[in-house]
Amino acid sequence: MRTKAVITFAFASTLSTSFAADLPRPRGVSPEYAKYYKDASSFACIFNPSITLEASQINDDFCDCPDGSDEPGTSACSHISALSPPSAAISDSTLNNTAALPGFYCKNKGHRPAYIPFTYVNDGICDYDNCCDGSDESEGIVKCEDKCKEIGTMWKKAEEQKQKTLNVAMQKRRDLVATAARLKLEVEEKISNLKSMVQADEIKIQEAENNLVETEKREKLRAITAPKTGGRLGVLVSLAKKRTEDLRAGVLKLMQEKASAEFRVKELEGILEAFKTEYNPNFNDEGVKRAVRAWEEYEARGRHPADDHVAQKEMEDLVQDDSEHGLTWDDYETADRDTDSLYLIESYLPPSARDWLRQKYADVRVFLVDNGILPAVDNDAAGESKAVQDTRTHLDSVKSERDGHQSDLTNNESDLTKNYGPDDVFRALKGECVNVESGEYTYEHCFMDKTTQKPNKGGMDTAMGYFDRIEFVNVDEGEPADGKGLGSGERIALRYENGATCWNGPARSTTVILVCYEINEVWKVVEEEKCIYRMEAGSPAACTPEGSRGASQAAGKDEL
Amino acid sequence: MQSRQQLPSSWTTLPVILATLALLVSPVFMVKHENFKTCDQSGFCKRNRQFADSASADKSWSSPYALDASTIKFSKGQLEGTILKSVAADEQIRLPVVVSFLETGSARVTIDEEKRQKGEIELRHNSKARKERYNESEKHAIVGSLKGSKDAKVADGAEKGTTVIYYGPDEKFQAVITHKPFGLTFKRDGKAQVQFNERGLLNVEHWRPKPPDVPAEEEKKEGEEAKVEEKKVEESGEDTSTWWEESFGGNTDTKPRGPESVALDISFPGFSVVYGIPEHASSMALKQTRGGDGNYNEPYRLFNADVFEYELDSPMTLYGSIPFMQAHSKDSTVGVFWLNGAETWVDIVKSTSKANPLSLGSKDFTTTQTHWFSESGLMDVFVFLGPTPSDVIKSYGELTGTTAMPQEFAIAYHQCRWNYVTDQDVKDVDKRFDKFNIPYDVIWLDIEYTDGKKYFTWDPLTFKNPDSMIKHLDKRSRKLVTIIDPHIKNTDSYPVVDALKKKDLAVHDKDNNIYEGWCWPGSSHWIDCLNPAAIEWWKSLFKYKAFVGTGSNVFIWNDMNEPSVFNGPETSMPRDNLHFQNWEHRDVHNIYGMTYHNATYQALLARSKAEEKSPRRPFVLTRAFFPGSQRTAAMWTGDNLAEWSHLAASLPMVLNQGIAGMPFAGADVGGFFGNPSKELLTRWYQAGAFYPFFRGHAHIDTRRREPYVAGEPYTGIMTQALRLRYSLLPAWYTAFREAHVYGTPIVRPNWFVHPEDEGGFALDDQLYLADTGLLFKPVVAEAANSVDIYLADDTPYFDYFTYKTYKGKGSHTIEAPLEKIPLLMRAGHIVPRRDRARRSSALMRNDPYTLVIVLGSDGKAAGELYFDDGESFDYEAGAYIHRTFSYADGKLSSADKYPEKGKGFDKYAKSVSKLRVERVVVVNPPAEWEKVAKVSVTQDGKEKYVKMSFVKGESGHASYAVVRDPKVQIVKDWGIVFA
Repeated sequence: MRTKAVITFAFASTLSTSFAADLPRPRGVSPEYAKYYKDASSFACIFNPSITLEASQINDDFCDCPDGSDEPGTSACSHISALSPPSAAISDSTLNNTAALPGFYCKNKGHRPAYIPFTYVNDGICDYDNCCDGSDESEGIVKCEDKCKEIGTMWKKAEEQKQKTLNVAMQKRRDLVATAARLKLEVEEKISNLKSMVQADEIKIQEAENNLVETEKREKLRAITAPKTGGRLGVLVSLAKKRTEDLRAGVLKLMQEKASAEFRVKELEGILEAFKTEYNPNFNDEGVKRAVRAWEEYEARGRHPADDHVAQKEMEDLVQDDSEHGLTWDDYETADRDTDSLYLIESYLPPSARDWLRQKYADVRVFLVDNGILPAVDNDAAGESKAVQDTRTHLDSVKSERDGHQSDLTNNESDLTKNYGPDDVFRALKGECVNVESGEYTYEHCFMDKTTQKPNKGGMDTAMGYFDRIEFVNVDEGEPADGKGLGSGERIALRYENGATCWNGPARSTTVILVCYEINEVWKVVEEEKCIYRMEAGSPAACTPEGSRGASQAAGKDEL
Repeated sequence: MQSRQQLPSSWTTLPVILATLALLVSPVFMVKHENFKTCDQSGFCKRNRQFADSASADKSWSSPYALDASTIKFSKGQLEGTILKSVAADEQIRLPVVVSFLETGSARVTIDEEKRQKGEIELRHNSKARKERYNESEKHAIVGSLKGSKDAKVADGAEKGTTVIYYGPDEKFQAVITHKPFGLTFKRDGKAQVQFNERGLLNVEHWRPKPPDVPAEEEKKEGEEAKVEEKKVEESGEDTSTWWEESFGGNTDTKPRGPESVALDISFPGFSVVYGIPEHASSMALKQTRGGDGNYNEPYRLFNADVFEYELDSPMTLYGSIPFMQAHSKDSTVGVFWLNGAETWVDIVKSTSKANPLSLGSKDFTTTQTHWFSESGLMDVFVFLGPTPSDVIKSYGELTGTTAMPQEFAIAYHQCRWNYVTDQDVKDVDKRFDKFNIPYDVIWLDIEYTDGKKYFTWDPLTFKNPDSMIKHLDKRSRKLVTIIDPHIKNTDSYPVVDALKKKDLAVHDKDNNIYEGWCWPGSSHWIDCLNPAAIEWWKSLFKYKAFVGTGSNVFIWNDMNEPSVFNGPETSMPRDNLHFQNWEHRDVHNIYGMTYHNATYQALLARSKAEEKSPRRPFVLTRAFFPGSQRTAAMWTGDNLAEWSHLAASLPMVLNQGIAGMPFAGADVGGFFGNPSKELLTRWYQAGAFYPFFRGHAHIDTRRREPYVAGEPYTGIMTQALRLRYSLLPAWYTAFREAHVYGTPIVRPNWFVHPEDEGGFALDDQLYLADTGLLFKPVVAEAANSVDIYLADDTPYFDYFTYKTYKGKGSHTIEAPLEKIPLLMRAGHIVPRRDRARRSSALMRNDPYTLVIVLGSDGKAAGELYFDDGESFDYEAGAYIHRTFSYADGKLSSADKYPEKGKGFDKYAKSVSKLRVERVVVVNPPAEWEKVAKVSVTQDGKEKYVKMSFVKGESGHASYAVVRDPKVQIVKDWGIVFA
């Protein structure tokens, strides 16, 4: 069966005037098809040439040709379409029933010629949109005066304006491309910088590691010289310090969790509050009713415990620095060292001798330990001296610096290969946001980032999607006089996915369809389906590099 | 919109993901049974069923109602008397009875209660309610003559204890009244057709004072409860637990008037099938309701209610009520109309007496016994004795009125959605229909267009410029329908509610304060259209100046008028609420919705009269309805689901509306809740093209589904279905004319067209379009490639599109791949249509006609064409064309149906004189026409010859001939001689 819908509606702007325009043509015939109607005595159906008719049967308001070609100027063959119900008697299936003509041809002298569907012919409506000469209404049901002069003039003006706009837009696009190129260079530079930084970091890490080994060795030596009691006190102090720090970190973490939990509770209470006032009792849903009742009881009990801020204060005290409580760990740690030094003979020696002695002690110590004569000093973190810890901390910080640089590098490298559209043009717009108010919301599009719905009356923003990809879509829309419309043809579109999930629906997503325009603007936001949005927007970035396809300006000229 | 690049990974998988998600999260659609009463939970229903049970259990049962012969009076076709109900040895309740025999041949039986009638009762709770039984149903439902027949007469020499009255055409009808116990048998040609109180279940719960509370009742101890209850029943012989108060779902009905139900058993001897009493999602042939295989356990309920996600194959109540039932057998059709606006239940059982094997020629004899009970009001029953289905529906139409003649756009295609979100959205949808060359006439706005659910306002953010929107629609003669519901938002600075309160035009609560309940806007009041002043006020609200942003192409949708009250008992109003003149809501519950849409009709009419030169016919869609609703509104079957089963269920529901006198009916195409698959949507459009009311609609949580959304091949196939509807609009409009004049159904079930065909009595999945011979059977199963269609006779039928021939009584298989609409043409008919494709119905008005003549073996065919200006009331003054076409003996002729003309005829005929017949198609012509190249055409006494082509049928397809442009004028007489 016939399943393919043929839209017999098309602009005729590409029709060349090189066709013999001076041939006399029956009403509704374009120059392109004039050749079929030359014969003054007979006519052969265009797709069914075996059927020949008398010339008088052309435009006599009766459909003789199964392809409709004998009625180019009436609606008699308007049913010849895959969209009409099939009918044996009026479209014999053994013949070619495809419509031979693209539509009724309006000459529109003074403006652009155009085809309109045969269904529009003699229906009592002046279809000035595409048939400014009023030739679609020849039966006299309604009188349609020729408005081509006026419409044509207006159109020309608008076209000129559009061309100007287009030129501005093109220039802006070139600027954007230049900016994008610069930004790209910057990224490349950054990458090269980061690469050397990472290399430098690696060297630093190596040094720090060596340093740590050195220090550890030295500290092992020191451990022998340290008096037993002082060493134990030192261990105790560092243990206590560590423990205190752990506790403080724990409390801090708890406080953060508490804050986040409170935020969530507040948010949930907000949701329930709204739920209670907005739920639809129509649906008499027992589950919903129960939930509302439970919420009311919960609310009656009081939402926030009264002593809450007391606990908060206590915790804040707890996490204050120890010095606030008159405790200075360093005092104890360094004092420990001072006491030790009293017992050290070496401290009374001149420095050179001291070093020599120390080295000897150490060697002996290592020798004894190595041979199992002396026990090895407990050397794990808790018992580590300040010196080892400092060295280790230094190593860690150098490492994390390296990691930071490395991840920056990876990010920048992937950014460099990311699809920013033709000529990398959207790189220049990344993060730039455009707003439009529509209904009770303001919609925001942040290029290459996200789309957001913001209630004008206040309340939480809703994420309508995060940037996912660039694609191309075919549109076929009308175009308003101000040029702020999609027009027809292929358009670039930015897809934003995985926004906030809808109740009883999918996660929100947005397709931002862009057409060439002099500034970044969002013209229209429509919810095409539940939680699937479409933004129609203008942007210089959407202009094509070659400048030939001025998106909305071309009104689909080159697509057809 | 199509996407290129990355298409495979994005746009194709997204819908799959969405579909999967939808599957996971979509709620299970299920009616909330607990929100609606079963018979057991409805006091009077339970009491009357118990009454029936104890009566049938008791072999010696005798009805305690007797007509006091001494009170009988008869004059002017009316018999009056008093029925005495014995309630105790020394106590009789006086029940005045009137049996009227109307000029029209219908009979009416009305039973009242003297004490209540005279107001000699006391109400509890200081109630302000009226004391009488509600006696104004007829004021709302009846428009026809109730004049008694002069010719009806009491027969002499009737058997003792009976009174016999002859009445009806040629006095063929007979009412036999038995005095003790009171009973009535209606006979036609001496044969009993309808019997009242045959089983002795007549019950009028009389007024009695409430006995002082028995202490035991209040101090029930655990374990004793059952005993006490038992005892209570035993003493009085009745279950009195629901006499004085009833609670359901946390709402208590104070019942200030006590028990007051009316009940009657009505039997149809010799009838095996009954139809009617919509609205139920059930088969058209009504099922038995007292259990057993394939039967229901609950009576059919009539109580207008907003039943959310209703279930199928159920006697549960729905949005509207028409207590009109037909009983049918192969040689007789009769009807009863139970005029009562209160909650009503109907039990149905059938009993078959086996044929006596010794008696030759005797057959099984089935009697259908029905049992009707209403909560309050008069007992008021009309009886129609047929004998044909058309006779019965005509009688009903004479009483309650017929379908309003709709504007032409109203029977074309309507595009609705909850909601088109902005005025720009409306324009965009409109443009897309044009872009895809899909015809449509009306676009609809659901509740979201309002400013905070305040009717008569526009949302200032989303509908900034309604004027520009309706003007845009008007360019192609398209219309807008906006929703206006009966609940008025109770809020500050809303002039409508201020006026409602100030003028005191709202429904009151039991304490006589303005009733407040919840609906879409939150706290709301309900307009009381039983009050004539409320209607006057309502009229003022629709003026263009009052409802700013509307114009002559704006019409109204009345929803939620059951009334739906979100926090009320059974999602409706408390029954002890008070209406105008203090009638209790319980008395008028089922009528309320009709009074509301009637008011809207009046308002649109008044608007048109005030604002337009030539007033146009209003269009109102309603969800709730009652007998008489057909006079002012179309209905739809409410909130159905996007499921195949609901597509299937729409057929019997729409057919049932037709035979119950409210034929302008349809179901939401696509299904309201949920997302239909593209296949289901496509099949639904094919089916919807044969609903009298054809509207696509969708819930706010569903995806967009306008026909152009689905893409090919679906969009093209749906467009074909829509264009088929548009091409057949001349036939549909003619059918509406017939419905308007005679009350006949527009789409008709098999039994209505072939009353004698017992095999087709239960058939409710295929339909005939009026009298056109078009027989349609929708595909209602997924992935189906064929349907079996049932032919009731041996007349040949031809496929509408291919002329494939089907012949022979019984089932035939029609190949039906997705693009195929199973539609046959029955031989003997002439179908008018307009084949040119247009954007809207109004743009077809100047197009020529095609006539399709379908011939059978007798070589005869006939058909009709009616049209008028499609808008105004000028047709009432004769400004219409009504032609009959007949074909016999090789000649087709066109003649005026009514040679007598009204004063508006000439002018109108002149204005349409150019309309012509452009083509005559003859299906199954005589074989010898193959040699005929020209036929003779005569008009205005002039003869000419025009070409005819002939195509010989092959492989089971009929031949056909096409007359090329005879150019005969529709408004004139003409003839075509073929051979």
